[in-house]
Amino acid sequence: MSEVLVQARGLGKSYPQVFRPRDRLRALGRLLAGVRDVDAVAVLHDVDLDVCRGESLGLIGENGAGKSTLLKLLTGVLTPSAGSVRTHGRVGALLELGAGFHPDYSGRDNIAMSAALYGLSAAEMRERLADIIAFADIGRYVDEPVKHYSSGMVVRLGFAIVAALKPDLLITDEVLAVGDESFQKKCVRWMEQYLSDGGTLILVSHSMYHVQKLCRHACWLRQGGVAAYGDVFDVTQAYLAYHERKTAASSPQREQVASQGLEFHLVDLSLNELSQDTPVLVEHGGRLRVLVRAHSRDGRVPVIVFGIARADGTPVYGFSTEMDGVAPLADGPHDFVAEVEFPELSLLPGSYNVKAHPLDSEGVRLFDTIERPLTVRGQSREFGVVRLAHTWRTVAGAADPLKRAIGI
Amino acid sequence: MSTFSLTTHFIRREIGNRYLGSFSGGLWALLQPLLQLAVYGFVWTYVFGMRVPGGPEAPGIVAFLAMGVWPWNAFAEAITRATTSIQDNSALIGKIALPRQILVFSSVASSFLLHGIGFCAIVIVLAISGTPIHWLGVPLALAAFAQLFVLALGFAFLFAAVQVFVRDLVQTLTQLMPLWMFAGPVLYPREFLPEQYRGWLDFNPFTFYPEFLRAQVLGYGNVSISAALISALLAFALFAVGYGVFRRLSAHFEDFL
Repeated sequence: MSEVLVQARGLGKSYPQVFRPRDRLRALGRLLAGVRDVDAVAVLHDVDLDVCRGESLGLIGENGAGKSTLLKLLTGVLTPSAGSVRTHGRVGALLELGAGFHPDYSGRDNIAMSAALYGLSAAEMRERLADIIAFADIGRYVDEPVKHYSSGMVVRLGFAIVAALKPDLLITDEVLAVGDESFQKKCVRWMEQYLSDGGTLILVSHSMYHVQKLCRHACWLRQGGVAAYGDVFDVTQAYLAYHERKTAASSPQREQVASQGLEFHLVDLSLNELSQDTPVLVEHGGRLRVLVRAHSRDGRVPVIVFGIARADGTPVYGFSTEMDGVAPLADGPHDFVAEVEFPELSLLPGSYNVKAHPLDSEGVRLFDTIERPLTVRGQSREFGVVRLAHTWRTVAGAADPLKRAIGI
Repeated sequence: MSTFSLTTHFIRREIGNRYLGSFSGGLWALLQPLLQLAVYGFVWTYVFGMRVPGGPEAPGIVAFLAMGVWPWNAFAEAITRATTSIQDNSALIGKIALPRQILVFSSVASSFLLHGIGFCAIVIVLAISGTPIHWLGVPLALAAFAQLFVLALGFAFLFAAVQVFVRDLVQTLTQLMPLWMFAGPVLYPREFLPEQYRGWLDFNPFTFYPEFLRAQVLGYGNVSISAALISALLAFALFAVGYGVFRRLSAHFEDFL
């Protein structure tokens, strides 16, 4: 068990209800007399949390679930109403846009101020100033007042300061979303490097992609309490499934497509027997079965196209029943089923989408689309999207005792 | 160490904020009481035809007023500014974990720093212009300034904490400040009051300071040891109360800002 950096026990926060000036006066009297305020609204209750050195925790939850309040309690910005929280080591926090920046001062002055707020001495600050300015990469704006900055520049500066701080624990809220694509990538790269160097991270994000990419554990907050806590894939899937159920009533159903009376439409697409809009988990090298069920208005046999694309949309592989010279199986007068199996899935770990479309019997017109997210999990250090079959021909360097033993 | 560097940062920022964008910069801090002194001196000498009582031994009206105006400006400005120091920095308090005492402390310290320097400058100016200065008394006068700083901190902590809850405080305070000044021997000697009311001035915690400065620096009047002890006791007691209230309330500031 490594060193515990954050320990929270029974953590709770409630805000007093203050509507009229008279309430403030009464609150003042109560606080001075040491009496607890009774009419307070609890926004967070009974949170137990342990974050060890080297751990990465994603905090997820709906708006108003108490994520930011929890972060503020952990960083000491807020004082808990109940329970306790203890943190060790240097904490770098990126909570809100431009927190701690004075709009009238230049970027350079604000760097100095923030560094002092984080407890850096003037000498340490001077040492790192060049790094901070280089990382922020905002050009001449560093000498202009912060009030002239775009929100992206403010985040750049804020992140650059935190990055230079080399904190033991990095706590960050959804602020990165403001940065542009290249800066977000830079931040994610920095965080990955930081994590592989043994850094500790607590991240709040609504992007399950970022959470799954950066965190190993996740904590789902719902209505101020912990709804789930554990492995990142389990928790994020439970969270997404919850959203799925919540929005099921309002989202367009497959029946609506059916009612449009197209010649062909899809009834269902399932991955490993799971038909859900939350990612299906498959181990790298594991088995994936994709089954599609299509409806044909006139009973003609459709051509089914399958495709796999990366979560960012990059196509990986696509093929159809027609290309392979097979036909979907009839399942009743109007329904057809096509099932395909990937016995050893060669996709590298990451997030993907599996798509299916029905085409008319001639394979010309495309009618409908269903997409299912797929997450491939595994330990692999290879690069790219798929593993390509390969053999090393340069045996001279292959001083592998195993290979010698099997006579290659 | 880090608290110290943070405090110096805040003091620098506090002083910078006041003069950010003004042409004269920090010079204004020295000029403003000088102008004030000139106005008071003019009104007192030529309009009211007033002289400092005590015959030919008495100091000139300007030297007399200077010993009251500078400590009062430091004290009054420190208190009124520090009262809103927590409220003004609410953006910082809700987002960054920092010891809130620093905000009040640097607000008071910057006022005292500016007016302390101004006081030293005016003493030198007075000496050059021929006022006899008791140089041995000057370090004691600065020690009194330090004690006044403690007293101001006490009020500042108390008011800054209460201001978070009761926003009317600062308005009331700015109205009451001139009254407070005239309830002490800042612009007039105690002897100007009718005999039976002179003792009342001792109820004003500020009374000690101008009288002490006049006695030490100008050799005008004298202040008893017991008065010095009582004022020191009062300063530290008020600091203890103010800081105690601040500590008790500070955990709840962000709920009411």
